[in-house]
Amino acid sequence: MMSPAAVTKYAAPVLACIGLLAVWQVASLALKNDSFPTAIEAISAIPSILGDKESLINILASLRRMAMGFGAAVLVSIPLGLLMGRSAAIAAFFNPLLMVIYPVPKAALMPIIMLWLGVGDITKTLVIFLGVSLPVIYHSFEGAKAIEEKMLWSGAAMGLSPLQRLVRIVLPAALPEILTGCRTGLVLALITMITSEMIARQSGAGNILFNALDMGQYDTVFAMIIIVGAMGICLDAIFERVRARLVRWSEPQFDMPLSFS
Amino acid sequence: MTIVPARSSEWVRPVAQQEPASAIIEIDRVSQVFQTSARKDHVALSDISLTIEEGAFVSILGPSGCGKSTLLYIVGGFVSPTSGAAKMKGQAITAPGPDRGPVFQEFALFPWKTVLGNVMYGPRQQGVRATEAEAQSRALIEMVGLKGYENFYPKELSGGMKQRVALARTLAYHPEVLLMDEPFGALDAHTRTRLQNDLLNIWERDRKTVLFVTHSVDEAVFLSDKVVMMSKSPGRIRQVIDIDLPRPRRRNELLLDPRYQKYVVDIERMFDESDEGGVSA
Repeated sequence: MMSPAAVTKYAAPVLACIGLLAVWQVASLALKNDSFPTAIEAISAIPSILGDKESLINILASLRRMAMGFGAAVLVSIPLGLLMGRSAAIAAFFNPLLMVIYPVPKAALMPIIMLWLGVGDITKTLVIFLGVSLPVIYHSFEGAKAIEEKMLWSGAAMGLSPLQRLVRIVLPAALPEILTGCRTGLVLALITMITSEMIARQSGAGNILFNALDMGQYDTVFAMIIIVGAMGICLDAIFERVRARLVRWSEPQFDMPLSFS
Repeated sequence: MTIVPARSSEWVRPVAQQEPASAIIEIDRVSQVFQTSARKDHVALSDISLTIEEGAFVSILGPSGCGKSTLLYIVGGFVSPTSGAAKMKGQAITAPGPDRGPVFQEFALFPWKTVLGNVMYGPRQQGVRATEAEAQSRALIEMVGLKGYENFYPKELSGGMKQRVALARTLAYHPEVLLMDEPFGALDAHTRTRLQNDLLNIWERDRKTVLFVTHSVDEAVFLSDKVVMMSKSPGRIRQVIDIDLPRPRRRNELLLDPRYQKYVVDIERMFDESDEGGVSA
């Protein structure tokens, strides 16, 4: 038997989804517009997409590019951000570069990248990489900058070298902040993934979506939006579970510290 | 009463005349100048010379802004002096090292490590085997009064408990000198008193050399063999006072001891005469 709080916790999201679908259904029936299928029509189109081998291959190809772009971005951005946070010289060098890249929509770079690298996986992965990098660099930088200097001094007194301090003190101490950046990066990876496939149509979840749009298969379009949205929610939920596990130490188990001197 | 002017004290002498046998730390004409935001030079420390003997408990006492913490950081190797030099056993101090263990007011624990993980960190870094490091660390945690809290994270502990962990973490890698930077400054009065008592009990077992920075006259007199009084702007040593009180010291006896009271009153009066605020009883 679940407690009332637990019932609320699990029932609320379900109710919210049902509510959204109900509003959609009613609005669609009221508008009677061909390009706005009902929720039931859209949901009914999902099994045929997921049951189609070609579509599945496309979606998996998208996910693979996303994983590669995200993984590469995290591997490069975390060390760079941490170094920038600990060294004024490194920050002074990279900051202007990042300031220039920051406001540019990464998809806007795609035409140029496509000219250089073609319309294949490399181009799309690179765009995802660019989209993920900036928030991860920024949060790693902020996390590293905020570290209590005396924590590093304590490590130095124990005999840790500068590199050991970066890996064994700065990295774990900044981890909560880094993972906040990674979570933003994950959502951006999904967004840039779809955008890149919209621009360079060849394969992928975005390709299915926009092909269906061209052919006027609006139930498929909406079904793909639901699938992509569900992917995003699942990835975020998985990431959040991993994050919460990794930084359990930064979230107190007790509201009040123990009162013992 | 052994209040003597700093320059004529046995305690502070030109470096050349010291017996190297008993001196563990020598601070030789150290000055520290910081550039403030207004591009003006701020002299934090001016021409400090001080020798600390092995096994002594020495407090550096002064108002905030007198550079007393900076002096400690120089000995720790965390900060390089603008001029002059600090030496540890005759070797110039250029970097931090496990022979000098700091305990900071900010605790500076590793929040991602448990109490045990924090205390084991130093020994593990020094290459002590895990089982051995764990056994030693558990004993230290018990000694600082935290048995049962080995698997707690710093976030779950009170300020006093955190500082106990920080002390155990530093003691764990056996530094020859403890550098304590206002370690009890962030604690409430009751907790502070308990930690002072416990620190004395622990110290009296092995009499490690301690350099202890504080702005509390009480605390300095209660704990120390020597009190180095500093004045500010620029930070200078104005007096070195031997605290000639018997050990082991018990708080309840000491507070009633007229000699203790006289030290406290005399030191406070000297700070008052020079109109230096920020030093409290």
